[in-house]
Amino acid sequence: MSAGVAQPSHKPLIAPEQMPVLRAEIDRSCAVPCLSWFASSMFWLIVGTLLGLLASLKLHSPELLGDIRWLTFGRVRPAHLNVVAFGWGCPAAFGVLLWLQCRLCRVRMIWPGVMVAACVIWNLGILIGTIALFAGKSLGIEWLEFPTYAAFLLFLGFALVAVWAMMTFAQRNQEHVYVSQWYMFAGLFWFPWLYVTVQLLLILMPVKGVTQAAITWWFGHNALGLWFSPIGLAAGYYLIPKVTGRPIYSYYLSLLGFWTLALFYNWAGIHHLIAGPLPAWLVTVSIVGSMMMLIPVAAVAINHHMTMRGNFKLLRYSPTLRFIVFGAMAYTLTSVQGSFMALRAYNEPTHFTHHTVGHAHLGLYAFFTMTMFGAMYYIVPRLTGREWASSKLMRIHWWGTSIGISLMFLVLTIGGFIQGFEMNQASESLGSAVDKHGLFGGISEWFGGFKARNGAVPFMDIVRGQIPWLVLRSITGVLLFVGHVAFFILMVMNVHAWGKTRLGPTLFTGRDRTYSRLMTDDGEGAEA
Amino acid sequence: MTTYYLLVFGVLICFFSSVIYALHWSIRSGQFSDYQKGANSIFDDEEPVGEVTDFFPDMKPNTKEANRS
Repeated sequence: MSAGVAQPSHKPLIAPEQMPVLRAEIDRSCAVPCLSWFASSMFWLIVGTLLGLLASLKLHSPELLGDIRWLTFGRVRPAHLNVVAFGWGCPAAFGVLLWLQCRLCRVRMIWPGVMVAACVIWNLGILIGTIALFAGKSLGIEWLEFPTYAAFLLFLGFALVAVWAMMTFAQRNQEHVYVSQWYMFAGLFWFPWLYVTVQLLLILMPVKGVTQAAITWWFGHNALGLWFSPIGLAAGYYLIPKVTGRPIYSYYLSLLGFWTLALFYNWAGIHHLIAGPLPAWLVTVSIVGSMMMLIPVAAVAINHHMTMRGNFKLLRYSPTLRFIVFGAMAYTLTSVQGSFMALRAYNEPTHFTHHTVGHAHLGLYAFFTMTMFGAMYYIVPRLTGREWASSKLMRIHWWGTSIGISLMFLVLTIGGFIQGFEMNQASESLGSAVDKHGLFGGISEWFGGFKARNGAVPFMDIVRGQIPWLVLRSITGVLLFVGHVAFFILMVMNVHAWGKTRLGPTLFTGRDRTYSRLMTDDGEGAEA
Repeated sequence: MTTYYLLVFGVLICFFSSVIYALHWSIRSGQFSDYQKGANSIFDDEEPVGEVTDFFPDMKPNTKEANRS
């Protein structure tokens, strides 16, 4: 065994009485790098939401800003995707990852300057890439729209964080590797592997034919499940036990979930190409992989639920818990839905419809984004030493985003089903020239007459029938935007020290309390 | 073209060997030996099991009551 490997021993590497002080120091040392990642992620969240809203409005009002070349749908929509995924999602994930890694390794932030530099490089990449998309320089491959020069900056920023994580791990003062760390390391290693492979095979030396599509979706799907999901789950596995004060229900199950995710997830990407011109066995293997994902998902779902059981009334008190439990439930829902969407029978009506868009938002927003919000509610006060300034704004944020995304999911799911069933029996006739649907006509028509119609549906009627659903989707987008603005204001207030000083256990101000308690307690605590 | 394929397979082999190495290391270093200790490793005397550590600024839950199960 190599020299650096920690041997199992029962002596804690940090004396228990040093822990509170060390934790406070760790939190403080993370402040500048983590807050710079969080601040940039908040900026891009607002930009990305506006772009999403604009793209959504354009779907039912195509004339809106349609004359401006830079703001046509074909540019706004990829800009929305890249800004929210790489501008909001990744920096938020990095901020959470840096803090979690320091806390779990029990090491003060090393190289804070390098992490700020990584943040600057990353954001430069996002800025250049987004401008390039608006200028029409998209590479045209989904999830890889940014031109190579912007993608290179992102890769550099990512590599710095990955190397930092390894160096922090090497200095750890904790012999046990917590399940969150497994997930974070997995994400940090998987993503470069995906990215290098896809850059080589699609951009530097593109492969020919349908293999391109296969590689695109192998990457596109894995970017979600092997990068965003692990970070979201890592945050959940640390914060749910930490907030409720109860260890994970079954630690064994959490590790089983991790290793089965590692085994099955990377098979699943080709289910995006069901009924495509690919070898049938390749698609079938992918469907099997997708169904196998039910194992790690069940492991996570059981664990989160059983850890929370009996503690659900805490949702009233803790903003962190609200967001993270919402995220955990959405993870279960989106994963189970995703597995079934990979079945050919389910896929037949839902493929290429708004149903898939609803699924994507359930995963990346209801699960990942809500989990990141929850984590930020926990982390930021410990970085700045300030409580959140306004409960009212927190509630606006919570209700705006939770209601907004739930409705958006419902609207897109139902609208997508209608679209899919109708498209499968579309006729070639153009349909009636008059728009007889109106805003809610389409919905009432579906409840009333859709099932009875039974015949071929004119294509233009299908298009018009989608308008009310798309309008509703834009309205839910406004709800999300309101929530995001509330959170943005909260962040600004916190960083500008408008909140009360934190008197929690993680600050030096809590020191007296710590020592007085240590002297009176019999010392029985965590290391049971 | 061959170079690229070699690179891709090289990356693939590095990746899978690192996974196998990680699994091997985690078993050897006792990561799977005591699950209860693992689950408790995020708690300590100052933030012990049973203490709620997050709440809205204007409401602090009664820890004992909140944790009754």
